Amino acid sequence: MAEVSAVVKPKPRPIIRIGLFLISHSLFVSIVCCIAGVLALLLLPVLAKNTYISENALMPGSASAMLSSDDASDGHVFLNKIMSISSMSKNSGIEIPELIAKHITESGGEVNYHKFQPLSDSFHPLQFFVGPDAGIVQDNYSSTSYGVNTVGIVRAPRGDGKEAIIIVTPYNSVKPTTSEALSLGVAYSVFTLLSRVSWLAKDIIWVAADSRHGEHAAVAAWLRDYYTLSSGDLEHEVTSVKREGVSNGFRRAGTMAAALVIKVADSSTGFEKDGLKIYAEASNGQMPNLDLINIDNYLAVHGQGLQVRVEKIWSLLDSWWLYSLGELQELIGKVAKSLNPGWKFGIPASDYVEGCATLASSLYNQALGVPTGPHGAFRDYQVDAITLEFSPRFSSSQRVLFLLHVGRLVEGVIRSVNNLLEKFHQSFFLYLMTSPSRFVSVGIYMIAFALLIAPLPLAAAALFSDASKSKSPGESIPTSPAWNWLYAAKTVLIVHLWGAIVTIIPYLLHQSPDSSPLTSLSMWIASSAILLFFTRAASGSLPFSRASQLQTSEWTLLKAVTVATAFIGLCLMSVINYATAEIGALLLVPMCLMAVPLRADLKAKTMKAVVRGACNLLLVFVGFPPAAFLLSKVALAGFDRVRLDDFWNWTESLREWNSATYIYICMVHLPCWVLCIHILLHRR
Amino acid sequence: MEDRSTTGSWRNKLGFWKWAIASVLFRLILTYFSKNLNLSSRPEVSTPLTSLRRLAEGYWLKQLSMSPYSGSMYHGSPLLLSILGPLTVKKIGGLSSELLCSLVSVVADFISAILIRATGTSLVRAHLRNWKSLGLDKLSKGNEVVPSGDIAALVYLWNPFTIVSCIGFNTSAIENMFVVMSLYGASAGLVPLAAFGWVVSSHLSLYPIVLVIPVVFLLGYGLDAPPRKLFALSNLQGGEKRSTDHAELNSLNDKFSKTNFSWWRVIIFFLWASVWTSYVLIMCVISMKEYGGLGEMFKRTYGFILAIEDLSPNIGVLWYFFAEVFDFFRNFFLIVFHVNILFMILPLAIRLNHRPCFLAFVYLAVSSMLKSYPSVGDSALYLSLLVLFVNELAEMQFTFFLFCGYVGISLLSPVMHNLWIWRGTGNANFYFATAIGYACFQIILVVESVSAMLNHDRKIRKLCNKV
Repeated sequence: MAEVSAVVKPKPRPIIRIGLFLISHSLFVSIVCCIAGVLALLLLPVLAKNTYISENALMPGSASAMLSSDDASDGHVFLNKIMSISSMSKNSGIEIPELIAKHITESGGEVNYHKFQPLSDSFHPLQFFVGPDAGIVQDNYSSTSYGVNTVGIVRAPRGDGKEAIIIVTPYNSVKPTTSEALSLGVAYSVFTLLSRVSWLAKDIIWVAADSRHGEHAAVAAWLRDYYTLSSGDLEHEVTSVKREGVSNGFRRAGTMAAALVIKVADSSTGFEKDGLKIYAEASNGQMPNLDLINIDNYLAVHGQGLQVRVEKIWSLLDSWWLYSLGELQELIGKVAKSLNPGWKFGIPASDYVEGCATLASSLYNQALGVPTGPHGAFRDYQVDAITLEFSPRFSSSQRVLFLLHVGRLVEGVIRSVNNLLEKFHQSFFLYLMTSPSRFVSVGIYMIAFALLIAPLPLAAAALFSDASKSKSPGESIPTSPAWNWLYAAKTVLIVHLWGAIVTIIPYLLHQSPDSSPLTSLSMWIASSAILLFFTRAASGSLPFSRASQLQTSEWTLLKAVTVATAFIGLCLMSVINYATAEIGALLLVPMCLMAVPLRADLKAKTMKAVVRGACNLLLVFVGFPPAAFLLSKVALAGFDRVRLDDFWNWTESLREWNSATYIYICMVHLPCWVLCIHILLHRR
Repeated sequence: MEDRSTTGSWRNKLGFWKWAIASVLFRLILTYFSKNLNLSSRPEVSTPLTSLRRLAEGYWLKQLSMSPYSGSMYHGSPLLLSILGPLTVKKIGGLSSELLCSLVSVVADFISAILIRATGTSLVRAHLRNWKSLGLDKLSKGNEVVPSGDIAALVYLWNPFTIVSCIGFNTSAIENMFVVMSLYGASAGLVPLAAFGWVVSSHLSLYPIVLVIPVVFLLGYGLDAPPRKLFALSNLQGGEKRSTDHAELNSLNDKFSKTNFSWWRVIIFFLWASVWTSYVLIMCVISMKEYGGLGEMFKRTYGFILAIEDLSPNIGVLWYFFAEVFDFFRNFFLIVFHVNILFMILPLAIRLNHRPCFLAFVYLAVSSMLKSYPSVGDSALYLSLLVLFVNELAEMQFTFFLFCGYVGISLLSPVMHNLWIWRGTGNANFYFATAIGYACFQIILVVESVSAMLNHDRKIRKLCNKV
């Protein structure tokens, strides 16, 4: 962002000369960069690499599985017992934990119950800057409905008790379904095996999480208590020794190396094989180490012959434009290969479409910032965790075989993790999946983003140098040209402060319950609009205020500052959550770059000006967050399924999960949108 | 008073007192919530030297009649321990003990702002007087002179850096106050005050010791002015042209005579400085009597600063470097980095000797860049001193770029820290990258402001030649 240096200095430095060259061609460079950015994003499935196991110590599949069919049938017996309890008419929710506890003690593990209550949602907008709260736990067991997690621990014969591997099986303790019982059966058969084996170097913790208050809440509550030392810990330790069997004191093992959440899907797959679906997205687009997914995928495919999938957006699979794009890149790949056999890029069109659908889902789930399963709770404590959702081929028969396959897979994964000497660190943390065995790493997907936002600083610098050059001499600006951007910066700052207030409004609205989503949404929008009006009126009383001058002076300065803040905001967001920043940049960058006062376009009355004005209006319409949300929903789900209050529910869920996306929308996207409108309506 | 009337319209519009009081209220509100913000644990805000938590620890050790420096917890002055130590344990009506210390910081910030304002007012007056004596006041009718003191004080009070470090439970507000006090004392001609501020600020954080050069220039030559030979030149020309106006000529001659270095005040300054130094040292000896005496204090405070013992991450660049460097090169690089500051002192002093206040700003910026434990409090100080020269730096380049850079870095740096420490998906390089970026922006700021100031001087020379 060299400004006017060349005008003053006779010989600018080379780096400034390059900058000046880019600035003078900023329009061309912007267009090229934006198109290249979008293209690079579409090319990501082609650029994806095959996964590989990076950590040598893992050695997946090097030992033969020890889980026998006896263990599996034990698991089946256990499953039947749970089902019989669940079919009983009177069930207070304590029978199943008792049953699990009894079986764990019989197999030689330690047990304790963990009572918890779901926490009320709290909003921490500063957590990305400050770090987590210092563990303020309020013991407030007022209502009677608490959940009971049953925690079983196998102490490792070869370990020092400093590390642990976690298995989590969420189930509803009041009315468990067959699939939940199946997952408990899997965990039980693996657990009994592990209590016998001699190779265990890390403790095994089995958490049968009570999902009455939600799966995530149960696991999060257990983790919170695991990591915060409460004062009652020591005395419990003393009392638990006296009593035989189950203790109420909180039992711990070492730090967690990895965690597996085992679930069984209700519906069966339509395929010939048993299916495995991997969920990995934790809060704010954080992913577990790629090695953990790799060993699961490797063992499932090569060891147990399961069909492994990750989530994808199904409606994208039959979109014609994606398919034709895929065919185009396939064709280019073929041509390139015929020119030089060494050039291998291009993948089959169907693979490309599939990759795109998976990538889109991966992006969307990361961008939401809401964890896709109970594994999300672990990532908040820097523990790598994934959810494995198995879908059996047959709904009732051959359960023992299913238990055997899945049990062996879980055993294999645990055995691999057991081999680890350090934390997972070798492989990637920042990646997007395009299929279970292909990924795009941060070094590649950042290119797409960097190309997309590169025009922003350029445009800001170009506008800025324009504004300082074309300053009319008659205008009396009190300070010098070097500082005249301060007025524009003031406007931008005020709008961003307004954005901060808008962020908090739903929290205040939430305090008054029983209002329908639609009224809440309209109240939110109305109060924001009123506040915007007031801040605009009140900003006149600030120092440095020259409201009249600001309107007559160039809008270019305002646009320069807006573009610069959009750049800063997007860069910041790309560090916190890449996917949000990428999607946000797709909306924000064209909107900010195009914005030109409509009056000027109307006056000009040329074809170009009219087209530009229409584009501006379209972009501003699409850029309004509710409009963007509803439009994308229409595009993906069809027109009839969309309701207006979906947006409120969506933002509400983002807020409750402390998603950075919510803050991004309110504090970066919305202010920039308002400023773009401000520029569009500028009186020239 | 002509300067009053030209700056008066601006001053009325600004409403200094309104905004100053508002900023104090804002601080008090934030102080109340400081527990929730938990700023005192941020590496950007409190360093091992300035953290009041460490001071409280040292105070406890002293209460238990152990050396406050044992255990490498506290590294500040023993005098601060005696003054602020009791405040860290005192509680008023159930409120946290941090409140009282934060009040001290708020008061210190307010005093600094007032002193900056007074310095700025005298700078503006000197500016107008110099332009008049050079005969340029008629040319400058077009552009108003901005009351830079008021703006600088408001910038100091409302700078997010200052606010954050004020409520961040550390001593940098107090250190800044003494630095500003010495500058004010020197610019207002209050020699004892200047000496006191200089001695105490050097005692507290060592780096302000380089301010002796600007302070001596301030006392010797007076406030910032265009190069002295211009006065001689214009004096001659003016003498030829306006020989009839004897009164004016006499006043000009007075000005000219004033450009001579007044050794007398400098000697008094050094006398006062030695008085204050011995006073401070005696106090230190008294409080360190049972814990190893002055030697121990020097080792644990200045030794700690110079040897860069604490390598916990901060916004500077040295922690990373000295974490990476091999042990047998350590001493060599320690010397290299510290000499870096000293190398810049002499050339800058020669080039900018006619503008001592600006020289002080440059020194502060350079030392806050190369400091062993920098914090945002240091940036807050030099940024507001920069604003004192808003009249001279009107043509400064890259201002918008620098502004965006400072905003971007100050937001990005905590996020990178979060990514490294709390989320575990980043590493030290992420955070260090922002530290390098920050250092680069500081360098650009210093380079551009100095070159803008030199350009300003060139412009004055051209104008003088025309006249």
